[in-house]
Formats: sequence, C-alpha cells, structure tokens
Amino acid sequence: MTTQPIENNQAFNQRQLKRIFWRRMATVLWVSFFTAGVQSMVFFALFDPAYLGQLSVFAAEISRLQGYALGFVFFWAFTFSAALFSGLVLALPRTRLAKRNPNG
Amino acid sequence: MSKQETKPIELSLYKAHEKVYPREVKGRFQFKRKLAVWVLLGLFYLLPWISWAGEQAILFDLPQRRFHIFSLTLWPQDFIFLALMLIIAAFALFFFTALAGRLWCGFACPQTVWTEVFIWLEQLTEGNRHKRMKLDKAPWSTEKVLRKFSKQFLWITFALWTGFTFVGFFTPVKELAAHVWQWTLGPWESFWLFFYSLATYGNAGYLREQVCLYMCPYARFQSAMFDQETLIISYDEQRGEPRMRGKHRREADAPGDCIDCTLCVQVCPTGIDIRDGLQYECIACAACIDACDDVMEKSGMPKGLIKYTTENALVGKPTHLVRPRTLIYFIILMTLVSSFGIALVKRSSIDMNVIHDRNSFYRVVNANTIENVYTLKVMNKGESMTRYQVSASGIEGLTVVLGLNQTIIEAEPGQLVTVPIKIQADKKWANKKIHTIEVSVVKTNDDSDQATEKVKYFGYDK
Repeated sequence: MTTQPIENNQAFNQRQLKRIFWRRMATVLWVSFFTAGVQSMVFFALFDPAYLGQLSVFAAEISRLQGYALGFVFFWAFTFSAALFSGLVLALPRTRLAKRNPNG
Repeated sequence: MSKQETKPIELSLYKAHEKVYPREVKGRFQFKRKLAVWVLLGLFYLLPWISWAGEQAILFDLPQRRFHIFSLTLWPQDFIFLALMLIIAAFALFFFTALAGRLWCGFACPQTVWTEVFIWLEQLTEGNRHKRMKLDKAPWSTEKVLRKFSKQFLWITFALWTGFTFVGFFTPVKELAAHVWQWTLGPWESFWLFFYSLATYGNAGYLREQVCLYMCPYARFQSAMFDQETLIISYDEQRGEPRMRGKHRREADAPGDCIDCTLCVQVCPTGIDIRDGLQYECIACAACIDACDDVMEKSGMPKGLIKYTTENALVGKPTHLVRPRTLIYFIILMTLVSSFGIALVKRSSIDMNVIHDRNSFYRVVNANTIENVYTLKVMNKGESMTRYQVSASGIEGLTVVLGLNQTIIEAEPGQLVTVPIKIQADKKWANKKIHTIEVSVVKTNDDSDQATEKVKYFGYDK
C-alpha cells in the first residue's frame, strides 16, 4: 500500500473520498437489498398481499405477484433510507467526507 | 525533528482492483470441487424438469401461496418448517465451519460454483492463464475480438439459461419454456429471468472474489467459529523457509523445501499468497495444495508443504475432532433435525381454528339444553378435495350442529372454510361456569388424520 503526503496530492485525496462515498453507497444498497429479501419472505409468509390490498386505505385491487413486488420495493426503500441515514450520521461532521470541499 | 516527518500521511484505503487470472490446476481437491460443481449445478438445472405425480416435483408456487416438494405441499400455515429449515442450515454451517473451516466457501457456495463454470468458459475461449493475460494486454485484433466475443456469447447464454431455470422453480417450467419460445413472457417472469441472469453474469463473470471479500456476510463472521483445532489450509513455514530458487538454491547450505515457483499464488482464485499465513481472503478451495503437491512430487520432496492442517498441529499439539465447540453445535443441530423430522411426519393436513362467539356466553335452547356458538375455520392443507366431520368432547352428551344446514364440511385444496357451529349440551352436565372442551375435525375417509383444539365452554351455573 502506498503512502502519500496529503498536501502534495489533492487529486489522490479526492479520489479516495470518492471511493469512500461510493463504497458506502454500494454497501447501503446491497445490505438493504439483502435484508429486504428476508423481510419480504417472512412478512408474506404470514400475510397474504391480496387481502392486504383490500384492507388498505386505497382499497386497491392488487394481485399477489404485484403485492409481493410492491412489498419488496417498500421494504427495500425503507431499509435503504434507514441505512443511508446511519451512513450519513456515522460520518462525523468534522471529517472530510461530510464536506463538499475535501480540503476545506 | 525534520520537517519531512511532521507532514500528515494518509494511507491508501482502497487500491484499484486488479484482475485475478487463476491458473488451471488438477489434483485430488480440484477433482472434488469439480464433482461438487457437477452435482450441485446438475441438481439446480435438472430439478425443475422432474415431474412427480403429474406435477412439477419442486415448485414454489407463489401466486397460489403453496410450495410443492415432491408429494408434500406446504402452505403459509407451515411457515414453521421453512423457519426450522433455515435455522438447521445456519447451524449446519456453524458446525462444519468449526470442524473444517470454510468448506462451504470452497466447495458449495453458489458464488464459487458459478464462478468455476465461468472460469472454465473463459479458459475454453481465451486459453490458459498466460494467454489470457497476454490477450488482455494486447491491442484489439481479429483474434482478440473473436475470442472475447465467443466468451461473451457463452457467458450470456449460460447466464440466461441460469435465469430461466431460477424462474422455473417458481413458475411451471414447461409453460415457461413455451412462453419463452413464443416470446409471450409476463412482466414478472421477464424481470426475474433477466435480473437473475444479470446477477449470475456480473457475479460469476466480473465480481468473482470481490463478492467474497466485500459483499458476503458469512466471510465476515466465519472466523468467530474458528479455534486452534479447526482445519485450515496452511503453508508449513518451518519446512519451507528459507524459500529459494535457481542458482541461490543450488549454492545455499540448507534451503527450505519451498522452491519459490509461485504456482500456489498463480492458481489462487482470490489472488493471495498462502505462504503469508492464513488470510481473510482464503476461501479454502485447496487449489494451492494441489499445485504444491504436484511440484513437490516432481522435485522429489514429500508432499504436504501446503496442506489441510490445524493451528495446533502446526505447533505440534494434538488436534481433537470432539471438543466442546463442535459437540455443542452438533447437539443443537441434531435436536433441530430430529424435531424437524418428527414435526414433518406428524404434520396434519388439517389446519383449524375455533373462536367463541363474542356476543353471548351461552344460549338457552329449551328447558334442558343450552348451546355455545363458535366460528370454526378449517383449512385443507392436502392435495385433493376433502370432507370433514366435526365432533366435540369434554362434557357428556355434547352435540355439534353445523351452520347452514350442513352435516359435513367440504374444502378444496388450500381452501379456508369458515362455518358457524353450535355446540349443544345438557344443563345437567354443563353445570360449571367454565368448562374446557375439545373440538375435533376429522376426515370422513381417514380418521387418523385429524386436528383438535381446546376451547372454553360456558355452562349453566345458576
């Protein structure tokens, strides 16, 4: 692994920050995808989406397959938001990641 | 202190990914890995095509909310079996990890298995390790285009077939084949077919060892199951060092057994050097053992410079297969497996639920008789239309009157039937405030298959 002085290599530092950002994004996306799958499996084993559609405030007529898909997207979106929030909060405000200008 | 030393230094957190070109290797462990690939993928690709009693043998029918597994049909009410099966799988993984390390990673993980196949296809079209490296460095030529194109063609075909098979576990595979043939796939089928194909293509073709390094949760926690007596793949440093080759080796007084041919590094699918010690990246595929054994044999030295061993064995201590850790995992695993088996054998094809009417405790029918009203729910978890009789016991002379002028209940497979029932009793016997009675639902043609539930019965206690 190479070590490089920060002052002399701003381009390098910016690349690193980009990598950290995308790595966190990918982690959040993948972990929430994985857990949304597990959540959907457990949830829909216990509840039939066809009935849930009728019980909802929209009284929507949805088929089971649509229900599964909607449920999965729902779980993914919320888990993704929760994980993204954790990721944002984990980066302390004084660290360079939280600032737009990495040298600021 | 000089000015140079006070400068802040930042470590490179992420290095750019370098493609790993694993070299082909033959040997006893690679034979076992190939066998595992054939058996596991054979099962995956063939199972959907097997029929059982006129239906697809294994079909996870999500739209109908039922799983067909040979002659067994599981409904959402049988969720406990799915949960138990997953817990058993988890403990089996813990047990085998404690015993023999990352067996799962090296031999059975879908990621490893599909990556193996994709690497074979790569070898078939682009040649061996050396040729592949040369080809990637070379400028574009007709040969390169042809080789790359044929690789992509094989990869994509194989990935699409994989996606198709995957969907075939959820949709009757023969109908699916007809849909594909006539280009009339539904939106969900197409989405999952292409999504799973893309996942296979990306994971096995490009991401490969990076899935194990960065995405896999098991890789992160597997070391928690390890101890000093777990089987690991290790290089015998005492015997191998100082490693030397060529002229140095010939002139040295006492060279180690390692001839530094670096074959163990070249065959490694995750691109590590096992001689640096046990590493997180190692998926225990044993390719380096096969490569090194071969070299040792050719150089007339004993095999096993790299071998399956334990940390205790490396320092000359004894290794125990039976130890608290493995024993505890084994006992838990066996308890789970046997309770799963018993539950499966004793599983009734009837699911029932009795709810007492909320509005009244009991009703007076005539001078001698009172009744309690319930809602009975019966679900047929079997494979054919079934008739049921309802009976009650617990107080002398109980009679069950089914609602809607029925004498029996009929239910189609998977159907949930709701029937109001009245259970009548003589005031003489039903004289306590609360009795507990048992309501049973029995198949008319087979009284061994029945379900029973205990409910409260409000008696005439005045």
